[in-house]
Amino acid sequence: MTATTEAAKALAAPPGPGRRNRARDFRATRWGWAYSAPAVLVFLAFVIIPTGYTFYVSLWKWNALNPALSKFKGLGNYSRLFNATQPTFLSSLWHSLYFTGAMVVGGTAISLALALLLQRGGLLLNSTRVAVFLPHATPMIATSMIWVWIFNPKFGLADWFLHSLHLPTSQWLQSSSSSMPAVIIYSLWHEVGFTTVVFLGGLATLSNELSEAARVDGCSAWQEFWHVTWHQLRPVTVFVVAITAITSLQAFTQFYQLSSGGPAYSTTTLSYLVYQEAFIFSDTGYGAALAVVLFAITVFFTLVRRRTAAGGESHALV
Amino acid sequence: MAGASRAGRWARRVFAVAIAIAFVFPFYWTVVISLGHPGEFSDFPPVLVPHWDWSNWSRAWHSAPWLRLFGNTILIASCTVVLCLVTSLLAGFAFGVLRFPGRKVLTLVVLSVLMMPGTVLIIPDYVLANDLHLLNTYWIQIIPWGASVFGIFLVRQFFLTMPAEILDAAALDGASRLRFLRSIGIPMVRPALIIVAINVFLGSWNSFLWPVIMTNSSMESSSTVQPVEVGLSTFANAEGTDFPGLAAAVTFTTLPVMVFFLLLQRQFIRGALSAAGGVRG
Repeated sequence: MTATTEAAKALAAPPGPGRRNRARDFRATRWGWAYSAPAVLVFLAFVIIPTGYTFYVSLWKWNALNPALSKFKGLGNYSRLFNATQPTFLSSLWHSLYFTGAMVVGGTAISLALALLLQRGGLLLNSTRVAVFLPHATPMIATSMIWVWIFNPKFGLADWFLHSLHLPTSQWLQSSSSSMPAVIIYSLWHEVGFTTVVFLGGLATLSNELSEAARVDGCSAWQEFWHVTWHQLRPVTVFVVAITAITSLQAFTQFYQLSSGGPAYSTTTLSYLVYQEAFIFSDTGYGAALAVVLFAITVFFTLVRRRTAAGGESHALV
Repeated sequence: MAGASRAGRWARRVFAVAIAIAFVFPFYWTVVISLGHPGEFSDFPPVLVPHWDWSNWSRAWHSAPWLRLFGNTILIASCTVVLCLVTSLLAGFAFGVLRFPGRKVLTLVVLSVLMMPGTVLIIPDYVLANDLHLLNTYWIQIIPWGASVFGIFLVRQFFLTMPAEILDAAALDGASRLRFLRSIGIPMVRPALIIVAINVFLGSWNSFLWPVIMTNSSMESSSTVQPVEVGLSTFANAEGTDFPGLAAAVTFTTLPVMVFFLLLQRQFIRGALSAAGGVRG
């Protein structure tokens, strides 16, 4: 008898601090932090403290072989950001923003269009979903090698395709004016599968009633899409934009394998420059200063995205 | 009217097939190159049908310790998955079920990790790994990736959607935390754990910047700790002009990932969907 009243009380009790006086409830515990400790320790050791350490390294003329011989430079590495020696920080910043902008606009538009095309289901459309997602699941380093051949002006598929349509061909990765668009095309091919599926997930949760009401009201297909579908997809779109922006800012492998930052530094992004300065030119301190700038930009993007987000999305990861 | 919509449906199908071909064609073409004669890749039109010259495959297979490299990748990816499952389960449980002082702060600490990109971390972590003599080891390729923000929040999400009655009944039963986790928690969040395992495994397999920096020394190939993607990159730098050989190496290193993806594509797609699910919270 007492057990049932206990159970009834437990069911009726609101979750929260009110529970704490129930000594046997395993949920309220001082030891909760210990359960999160393994994950938190990994993050502290390899992410959070190292991020702080990046600031520290950026203040030194760092000696990679023997850190004890490093010379303190203060903000010297930061004033070097505005030097004009190639590859310059400002041009790499511009390349990063160019790449990120194109990926955000192109990636969002293409994946939304693909999701609308593929949302109906059925064997054929589902197979297309798998085909579109497949590149995203395969390693970038391997698929970049394939695309080096595709962009080859002598025997590549890209120019052959343009040629058979009687369109002007391009030097792709071998010319500084077309190298970035080529890397963007490759990256879209590799990335849109994921965001398409994210949009498909969003489309699956839309209410049919609103679309029907719109149709009954005599909306055209375009009006229905613009006012009903697109409007309801806004939180998903914000997520896609945010995740694409952050991945694109960090993108490295395709620049390493497709273009090595060239030709003439035309694809040297901020992420690539961090790698190049720190690990090719062995200027760890300057690389760290560039990394700090990259960190600041990422934080800025994340905070802007938080500020502009509507209240209902607080669970979103980015 | 019906005719128009039928035409529309067919247009949609044709378009979908064209898109599917466009996305898959690069893989097909790689296989074609890998089976072609070494001299024929110099001019238009590109070779579009295979010539079945398997000698490229054996040449490529014998010029790098591929089995060792595959073994390294599988070892690194599997250990990373196990670590991530443990840390995600425990932390997801802590953040989703337990109530303790400092929970909010720790949640924010974990979330802040998303703002610290790998390119920023590679320099200090390299310095750290160098100091700790962890360069060119398996450890440095596993431990730093042993926790996943995505994993923690996915598990947490599953715990949050667990019916309150189950938790109350278990609490009433006097169950201990670990017993609850073992007998009720793990079965309930299993779908989340599967998604985490698949995503972490693939992320580990496909990673490049981290291993290439952390394992860059020229070790004896029989004792290398490099993963297969780094081995492929080294191979490409050495044999870059042997297109069919390189295409063969690309094919046989990518094939296992593709099979893995095709076998588990439902769970993959569910993983991407749950990323979107978090948005709608």
